[in-house]
Amino acid sequence: MSETDNRAWPQFQRDSKSAAFFDAAARGELFIRRCLTCDQRLAPESGTCLTCDGTDLEWTRAEGTGSLVTWTVVERPPNRAFTTLVPYTIAVVELTEGPWLYTRLTEGVPTAVGQPVHVEFQQVPGGEHYPVFALTEGTPQ
Amino acid sequence: MTAAIAGLGLTEVGKVYDPSASDFAAKAVRLAAADAGLTLSDLDGLLVSPGTQGRPTLSLQKQLGLRDLRLLNEIHALGASPANMISIAADAVSSGSASAVACVFADAPLTPKGSARDAFGSGPRRTPTGFAGLNVGLGAITPNVFYAMAARRHMQNYGTTSAHLGAIAVGQRAWAAGNPDAQFTEPMTVDDHQNSPVVADPLHLLDCCLVSNGGAAVIVTSAERARDLAQPPVHVLGWAQSHPGQVMLRGSDFGLRTGAAQAGPAAMKMAGVGVSDVDLVELYDSYTYTVLVTLEDYGFCAKGEGGPFAAEGHLAPGGDLPCNTGGGQLSSYYLTGFTPIIEAVTQARGHAGERQVAKREVIVVSGSGGVLEHHATLVLSPNAPEGTR
Repeated sequence: MSETDNRAWPQFQRDSKSAAFFDAAARGELFIRRCLTCDQRLAPESGTCLTCDGTDLEWTRAEGTGSLVTWTVVERPPNRAFTTLVPYTIAVVELTEGPWLYTRLTEGVPTAVGQPVHVEFQQVPGGEHYPVFALTEGTPQ
Repeated sequence: MTAAIAGLGLTEVGKVYDPSASDFAAKAVRLAAADAGLTLSDLDGLLVSPGTQGRPTLSLQKQLGLRDLRLLNEIHALGASPANMISIAADAVSSGSASAVACVFADAPLTPKGSARDAFGSGPRRTPTGFAGLNVGLGAITPNVFYAMAARRHMQNYGTTSAHLGAIAVGQRAWAAGNPDAQFTEPMTVDDHQNSPVVADPLHLLDCCLVSNGGAAVIVTSAERARDLAQPPVHVLGWAQSHPGQVMLRGSDFGLRTGAAQAGPAAMKMAGVGVSDVDLVELYDSYTYTVLVTLEDYGFCAKGEGGPFAAEGHLAPGGDLPCNTGGGQLSSYYLTGFTPIIEAVTQARGHAGERQVAKREVIVVSGSGGVLEHHATLVLSPNAPEGTR
């Protein structure tokens, strides 16, 4: 697990559908959904399988590796809570298992689609642990 | 029976603060009815699309004193709502279930002390929860962030550049100079675009639409009835929606292809026209990128060629595919999907003054909602459909 980023990222709360995901993050694990009917791996917020329409989904641990789909360096604070946090990089990451996640990159600005990334974990001060991603050293895939 | 837009109502737009969204909406409907030469009691249908503050609502009927309506609904498809309302009104008029339908949107996100950011960037007052809450914690909020990632993906895949996007903003600004309702009319260059502050890269400030207060409405009635009313009818020849859904999985075409690829050809097929028949386009322009990807998806250029196509000057004044001829949401005013519709109706009537385009037989209009999640297309014309003239 990476060092905690102690900056004042906004607070949020878990709900019943996300509780297992945030418990896993606190253990240093990235959870995604797996369809019990067809084995498709799905993004954490999924309620229905995109391959077979199945609704019997379970939590499963992802490897925590993937590649960059797209990104943006946010320069203008979306609201006042982000005034001291810009610039920061938001990205879409494609996990090795297939699902896409919206995430924040911990450091470094990407240069190309497909760059390898790996999960790290941060904690909102006094709040939830959650996954973020870092660029992995090496040749872009 | 075919449908036509017979009335157009546009309130004051921009930094106008006094009325609420509901008041703007009521005013827009009154203006549209008067424009058509109708009274409010002639209306038997009302479709309402609420803005950022959740108003106007169904209670607009009460505010306007409308009675015995045969069609009343709130339409929620974000930026696709205005075109969707006209589609639904056209269906109702065609089937005979209503005869004169007002379609209205209004919003009042701006306050004298607030900024555009306060209007669209503020999170909910309560602590956000669940996976939506996680996005807030990450900072993955506001349309700027998601459209920036869509534009980046298009750039990475097809070689689109920020200067290509700038060409769209520059062309629309040139059109805005001829629009008395436009908020920004001073000339702009691609250098101005490149030098404007980065909001969320690759998007600069001049890639992003305005935020405006105001209201807009149209009256949809039968083509037959519209002929006897006060304004030249604008015939609704084709319409289609597309809601592709969000696929957060390997293989997703996020940023590369949108619902426009389905709705555009469907609406043109219904109208009996192809892209080579289209004289001008009024395209939803939340961002410059939205125009670019819509042009590609509609088939005005090959997929991935939208950037060079824009840079070649087809869209700007003097080009062969006039686009967003009132300046669009980037330069004139933001009334969600009504901005392109109002300009299309104005051009179709031949009422666009110094910005009037010469050829206006077939006009394609788009609406887009969410982050490329909802799309609607209209095909409008001053000419009645074949076989009904």
